[in-house]
Amino acid sequence: MSSSSAPDRDENVADAQASLQAEIRRYETRAIAGLWLLALFLGLSLAAYGGFPLFPSLPENVRAALGASPPTGLISLALVVYSFSAIILLLARQGSEPSLRGGFAHLGYLTGFYLFYQYGGQLTDNFLAVFASGLTILGLYSYQTWSFFSAQAKETSERLALARRRQSFFSDEVGTRHPLDTDERLP
Amino acid sequence: MLRQKISIRAIVPVAATLTGFVVVCCLLLYTVIKGDLNRYTIRHSTDLTATVVKATHYAMLKDDRDSLMNTINSIGEQQEVEHVRIFNKQGLIMFSGTASEVGTLVDKVDAGCIGCHAGSQPATRLGPMDQARQYANSAGDEIMAITAPIYNEAACSNSCHAHDASQKILGTLDVGLSMAPLQATLGLLRNRMMIFCLLILFLSVGATVGLLHRNVLLPICQLSAYSDDVVNGNNKPPVFEATEEVQQIARNFCHLADQRDRMRRELDILQPVVGKLPDAETDHS
Repeated sequence: MSSSSAPDRDENVADAQASLQAEIRRYETRAIAGLWLLALFLGLSLAAYGGFPLFPSLPENVRAALGASPPTGLISLALVVYSFSAIILLLARQGSEPSLRGGFAHLGYLTGFYLFYQYGGQLTDNFLAVFASGLTILGLYSYQTWSFFSAQAKETSERLALARRRQSFFSDEVGTRHPLDTDERLP
Repeated sequence: MLRQKISIRAIVPVAATLTGFVVVCCLLLYTVIKGDLNRYTIRHSTDLTATVVKATHYAMLKDDRDSLMNTINSIGEQQEVEHVRIFNKQGLIMFSGTASEVGTLVDKVDAGCIGCHAGSQPATRLGPMDQARQYANSAGDEIMAITAPIYNEAACSNSCHAHDASQKILGTLDVGLSMAPLQATLGLLRNRMMIFCLLILFLSVGATVGLLHRNVLLPICQLSAYSDDVVNGNNKPPVFEATEEVQQIARNFCHLADQRDRMRRELDILQPVVGKLPDAETDHS
């Protein structure tokens, strides 16, 4: 039960509604974070297409210091294992909150595969495999992000709408329960 | 909303990931098979070149130039042979399947030669895989060229047209083979793998969607419709086919609805009786 005066109460209501609106905006922004990662990956793939033609090749002394590249078969095997485990993990976590760090980690792994293939001189042949793998994993991550945060935004919008309805309903009554003095959540 | 529907949430990620994973595996498999075929072709071509060197060895030893020229011409007439030539250490073409080439110098910076002649000293000993080089000729056709050095042997330096024994290489046999047959085989393989990939996709996605629809989505939709009926007071026992768990939920709904109705009936019976009872407060007073 609110014991504050009417102007204070109106201020609290406005703050609470503004907070809900900010929450909705945050959810909406995060809902498209996966798409940004996907766009970043597409940009990276564009740069990698044809063996990073826009970048200078590795100097011979650096190449000598790094040594021989791993066998292409092993890199491909690692790609299959990584794709399989990433897909299983992403599918298992559908419906739970996705972390942005996880998305960047996937981007990092995929960049690593591009670089390893490039170092082994086999990027041209294996470009499509890494590209398809990245598209699948980051596409799934984007879907998970969009699906989860859109649902959160929708739920918060409904809470906001309910709060506004309550405010307008109780606005003329004095001493009634405050519209936001409740823990009630929509299902 | 569409995104909240269980059918969409269950099917879209599974179908997308199955598709993606199958495509990745097929692409990697194609690359591996392509590499294997390429290696096999190089080895086969290197063996073929070695056979040519051995077949012409006696003619060279006897300095039988007519016989050697005839052999080279016969090889050059083969449809898949783009060029065949023997040039000496200075790069002067002595024998060639293309008559106009004879007596000219090979270009060491040509796409086919630069591999060995990139350094100050050209490579003299090459492994079987290093003897092959791939490039596009002036007509744009993909060519795989194999070079087989003709080494100086004791028999060569002791024969009538004696070479200096210190000379390691007497000349080089260079055979260029069209890669069109290999490309055609790879194209055929690619098309068949695409068909196979599509079949696998249709089968796996179809089976997953079908099983999910049959065992999960349809029973849940029926359960949802049944729960609506129960809420509206239609307490018939569940009759739809579903998994044991879903049927148990439906039976529990039915049981709860029966209990609710029985309580309502009892309340209807008790209400008039309760209404006739004397007021408790009056009794106390």
